[in-house]
Amino acid sequence: MTRSESFATDTGLSVLHALRCSGASGLTRLAGTTGLGESDVESELIDLAVAGLVTYAGGDFGGWSLTDVGRVVNAERLAAELESAGARAAVQAAFDDFLVLNPELLELCTAWQIRSVDGVMAANDHRDASYDARVLSRFVDFDRRAAVVGARLSAALPRFGRYRVRLTEALDRAAAGELAYVADDFSSYHIVWAELHEDLHATLGIPRWV
Amino acid sequence: MGMRWVRPLSPRVEETAGTLGGKAHGLLVLRRLGLPVPPGFVVTTHACRTFLRDGRLPDGLDDELAEAVADLEASTGRRFGGSRTPLAVSVRSGAEVSMPGMMNTILNLGLTTEATAALASETGDARFALNSRLRFLAGFAAAIVNVDDGTLGQGAGDEQARIEAIEELIRRRWGRPIPDDAARQLESAVEAVFSSWDTPRARTYRELHDIPHDLGTAVIVQTMVFGNRDGRSGTGVAFSRDPNTGENVPFGEVLFGHQGEDVVSGSSLTRPLRELADREPAVWAGLLDTLRRVEGHYRDACYVEFTFQAGELWILQVRPGRFVGGAAVRVATDLADERVIGRHEALLRISPRHLPHVRTPRIAGTADILARGIGACPGVAAGRVATTSDGAVRMAADGPVILVRPETSPHDMHGLSAAAGIVTARGGPASHAAVVARSMGKPAVVGIGDLVVDVTGASVRAGGRTVGEGTLVTIDGTGGEVALGSPSVVTTGADAHLRRLLEWADEVSGDHSERDEALRLGAAHAVLRHG
Repeated sequence: MTRSESFATDTGLSVLHALRCSGASGLTRLAGTTGLGESDVESELIDLAVAGLVTYAGGDFGGWSLTDVGRVVNAERLAAELESAGARAAVQAAFDDFLVLNPELLELCTAWQIRSVDGVMAANDHRDASYDARVLSRFVDFDRRAAVVGARLSAALPRFGRYRVRLTEALDRAAAGELAYVADDFSSYHIVWAELHEDLHATLGIPRWV
Repeated sequence: MGMRWVRPLSPRVEETAGTLGGKAHGLLVLRRLGLPVPPGFVVTTHACRTFLRDGRLPDGLDDELAEAVADLEASTGRRFGGSRTPLAVSVRSGAEVSMPGMMNTILNLGLTTEATAALASETGDARFALNSRLRFLAGFAAAIVNVDDGTLGQGAGDEQARIEAIEELIRRRWGRPIPDDAARQLESAVEAVFSSWDTPRARTYRELHDIPHDLGTAVIVQTMVFGNRDGRSGTGVAFSRDPNTGENVPFGEVLFGHQGEDVVSGSSLTRPLRELADREPAVWAGLLDTLRRVEGHYRDACYVEFTFQAGELWILQVRPGRFVGGAAVRVATDLADERVIGRHEALLRISPRHLPHVRTPRIAGTADILARGIGACPGVAAGRVATTSDGAVRMAADGPVILVRPETSPHDMHGLSAAAGIVTARGGPASHAAVVARSMGKPAVVGIGDLVVDVTGASVRAGGRTVGEGTLVTIDGTGGEVALGSPSVVTTGADAHLRRLLEWADEVSGDHSERDEALRLGAAHAVLRHG
């Protein structure tokens, strides 16, 4: 029995992992990330806090975050999960493909935010609906290719399926006129994508530049 | 010779940028101006279009490549992939318009195992030869697997370990090893450049920027000059005028003992261009002469990329400077005053859409600059340095904070929210930090190559100086400066120039009434274009 299983439920572990991928977050955001109800998230967080795995900071930019122990426990659990599912090669291959997609997604977000007019880069003020529609149509095309990589990831580790749900929702909302769901909102395509990037690093145990 | 697909980089070649690509076209301008360009040749966009149509390199291209390489061997006295005095080449893409998502550059191609050993014994510098081969492999791998080379060999240890990691990556992703034969390497590289025209990322970029899909790219093959050869070698980029202010002084960066991509990618320690004057006076003089001549040709501020090997200068790329905001206004009026262009042309060079950017706050020229990077979100912000996002949140309670990170990830969202401005060592204008900064409307500077963030020591290091967490800095998200303290901030750096330009505009339109600046310029444009 690994250390993590000794003091947290599966749901608790998924909340723990959500904090690993999204950074300091409040209840609403964690509920969105995990797909759980806010009260369930809160009760898990309290258990995790009692176990010393998460901590809460108040203030304008506060929220729940991992403790050092929580980070270690999460890393152990991810390593065990990858091992027992025999998924390392598949996740690594998907990560290679992710790295090809990643710069394109960032360029799409950049095109959504700034555009060149008469050779001058200016903030996209979203008053030109045809330009926005063009960028969004490229997002849709991109998302089709991202979905292929996502499907391979969730075939290897089903928990990755949650990203597909969240990315689809972000794109649907953006297409329906909620423009913040491209790159501004905490549930925007860009933010969810960045969390997936972080998740792949965490899952494969690739250290980030610190 | 009757070449169908290949043209020499010779002043006699007079085809358009549509056939040769913008980069090669610029190299021919340099040749015609008598400036030092490494010998080489161009594979035309026509060959690329044929490749894209047929799915294979056009018939006869292999023979033409062999012939062009033989000419290079004859003119340099070196042997491609040879076991003595080996010839290495750079392979670059060069479409009519520049485009991210396409393969960019493979340096040191032709450094087979044997040629690398030959280069080591010729120079007596095994480390230089190995480093050069590593560069080749990283560039080749990036082209094959279609990722930015910055992420390749990440985490591996010394050069030999990185070489092995990259070779393994290529076997895994390409299904075969890198050919250890110079001619095959060249064909594979040309094919990789052509293929990269049609990557989804490149297609997306073209869709977003109204670039036709059927242009294709050219491939430029040139004799390598080694900026990493010795202490009297290096590489750099230079503007003929200051792109931040438009002032008529050369501006740029130089990196001693390194090869080209290091400056452009911002991954190493660069020095201000002016240091060349003391360390390599002949290179400096040659560079000043080059900048003067290319300005004369383009009648505009210009940008060049250069390398010097053992004290000898080579120019690798030239293009107009494409200045914006106040710098564009200043260059246009100065050029008119210098009688390089007429006042009417000066007016037409400034879009009315430039004018709001002339007023974007900027750090004044007198500031003590700690570091320079790429401006990713315009505006000026001052605050105390925080090296972690948790620290930024804590410190923000007592006043504005500048978050300084190697790069950012979702773990920095709370720090990014709390900070007044953002600085990162890595990444370009489309990095995570840049995208988030713009979504929050916060000034940001990214891609400071020599910035080291020491979280344990609670300090940041750049340009040979160390500043502790809590130090007051001011950042300029237009020009990419990070200044110490709180220098004065100007919103009217080009005011005198703008006033004169608008007076010329009123003379053209004949309307001297009080009205919006953009309207004054727009009226002049209307007269000049239709009048």
